[in-house]
Amino acid sequence: MARLARAAGRGAGARGGRAVSPPLFETRAVTKRYGGLTAVRAVSVRLEPGELVGLIGPNGAGKTTLFNLITGADTVSEGRVWFAGRDVTALKDYQRARLGMARTFQNIRLWPDMSALDNVRAVLAPGPGSGAVAAVLRLPAFRRSEAALTARAEALLDRLGLRAHADARSVDLPYGEQRKLEICRALALEPRLLLLDEPAAGMNPAEKAALMATVEELRRERNLTILVIEHDMKFVMGICERIYVLDHGEEIAHGRPDEVRADPKVIEAYLGGGAC
Amino acid sequence: MGGGAPLLAIALGPEGYWWANLLVLVSVYSLLGLSLNLINGYGRMFSLGHHGFWALGAYGAGWLTVALAGTLPGPLVFVLSCLFAMGVAAAGGLVIGLPCLRLRGDYLAIATLGFGEIVRIAIQNSPRELLGGAEGLTVPRVLMEVGPETRAAYRLLFVGLGLVLVVLVAAAIRNYVRSARGRAMLATAQDEVAAGLLGIDPTRSKVAAFLMGSTLAGLAGAVYAHYQGNITPLEFGFMEMVKIFLIVVLGGLGSISGCVLAAFVLLFVEQWLGRLPDSVGWVKEWWQVEYALVLVLLMIFRPRGLLGPRELTDVWRAWRGRRAAAPGRGGGAP
Ligand SMILES: Nc1ncnc2c1ncn2[C@@H]1O[C@H](COP(=O)(O)OP(=O)(O)OP(=O)(O)O)[C@@H](O)[C@H]1O
Ligand SMILES: [Mg+2]
Repeated sequence: MARLARAAGRGAGARGGRAVSPPLFETRAVTKRYGGLTAVRAVSVRLEPGELVGLIGPNGAGKTTLFNLITGADTVSEGRVWFAGRDVTALKDYQRARLGMARTFQNIRLWPDMSALDNVRAVLAPGPGSGAVAAVLRLPAFRRSEAALTARAEALLDRLGLRAHADARSVDLPYGEQRKLEICRALALEPRLLLLDEPAAGMNPAEKAALMATVEELRRERNLTILVIEHDMKFVMGICERIYVLDHGEEIAHGRPDEVRADPKVIEAYLGGGAC
Repeated sequence: MGGGAPLLAIALGPEGYWWANLLVLVSVYSLLGLSLNLINGYGRMFSLGHHGFWALGAYGAGWLTVALAGTLPGPLVFVLSCLFAMGVAAAGGLVIGLPCLRLRGDYLAIATLGFGEIVRIAIQNSPRELLGGAEGLTVPRVLMEVGPETRAAYRLLFVGLGLVLVVLVAAAIRNYVRSARGRAMLATAQDEVAAGLLGIDPTRSKVAAFLMGSTLAGLAGAVYAHYQGNITPLEFGFMEMVKIFLIVVLGGLGSISGCVLAAFVLLFVEQWLGRLPDSVGWVKEWWQVEYALVLVLLMIFRPRGLLGPRELTDVWRAWRGRRAAAPGRGGGAP
């Protein structure tokens, strides 16, 4: 494990020939216990700006729990979470989100009775003129702010090919489109860090490949830093620069895809766990 | 208005008089239903204390009217008492809403249930010179003198006032729901965890909707107090909560037009039952059970309300669409 980490550090430093930049985000030995079960044990993850990093591990490894600790959906038992140069461990979920941290959910959690457009508009930061009084009186300032929100939301829907579904209730969308809408909604937050929890779950290989390509493009277009959970090793290997591997709540390996793939502990965890 | 009033009374007749009374009550209960719909329908919170906010508004308006009557022009007293009623109800909403809505879970139902009863009992046991105690509070008529000749005009005045308020409040709620704040409220209602993780402050959205709902119930209370001229604590019992909730569920949780229609249907039936002969008096006597039964049946078979979140216009369009599509169906695919 230590060997891999060192190798990865060298790799990151060598990539642009520049000094190691300060991380956009890191967890410092975070631990989560549920009663007697330790779902995450002293995990330290660190992402530099612009990286696309994978988080893999068998079922129940603690991947989603780690996302919950990062985003504030759940509180840590021990350890700290840092984001954009500050300790955010004490901040609430919505406060962390507003600092530029957005996520999607393994079990889709769209707002079911709202349209696809409204799922996106609800997340966009409303500009001036969007206050309750202006809204109730339908003042011109409100109309302008609403038109601007709609245009931004439609552009995002367009980007992920969802424009045709704009007015449909989000539960009525086909499954794959719901997954894309979750990404769209997360992007509406204009995040710096995007956390994707199995974004391609339930898709066929062709759809998966297309989605991963889109994720890769979005990263470049929007200067995103992305941490993605994915069960399917093949796909993570294809697009991620670095990979963290969790098993039973602990980090068992970390490094470049080829290094991770060859790691005996990883092979053991995957074969032993029976996943994939 | 003095010269026209007796003529109005004659033109209205006993039937018209009955209808005018019905329409005023329909507007008051529409305001109550619309405001509860904001909390329980759009907001998907579970408030059981709407009758308490209604009572706060009625007694707030009544108290200020007693204090100010004669010192200021009547219409001004009326407007001030409405604003004061809304303020009192909002303060009550803040006291109940802030602690309960911070938590995720159904603390609100329990707290509001207790709140409604506490308000009623407190008024009942209040000193007579303050709120009239159990005997009730007489609210001075500040909008116009009410004698045998002007009673009809007074009712018509409140029919107009009530309908205008219902239209204004319905428009305000619709506009709020279709705004950035409204979407934050809907998102919080539909998945609070997701809302928080996507940058929406769930407590703020819930408190805002809850406060708006209780404030508007206060306005309904003010109109009711001025219309009745005399209010007693017994009028604000828990059965009223059942009635308001029944209106919201009948109309469809999250439907504005459905709510107004439901208020009309419910009050029409209630007032009409009042005119039944004594031979079928049991229908009247058992009304509490009947309401509760209808509510239970609705919650079992149509938990989102009769119409669901649709507006009457949507239903109408769907019905027209189906009728238009029906004849073409036969000649379709083999
Ligand atoms: N709220 C909770 N209360 C109790 N136990 C929990 C809770 N959340 C997760 N766990 C447990 O923590 C462990 C890690 O779960 P987690 O969902 O993080 O795994 P995962 O790596 O995301 O798995 P999967 O690939 O199946 O999504 C599991 O054993 C799970 O049962
Ligand atoms: Mg998971």
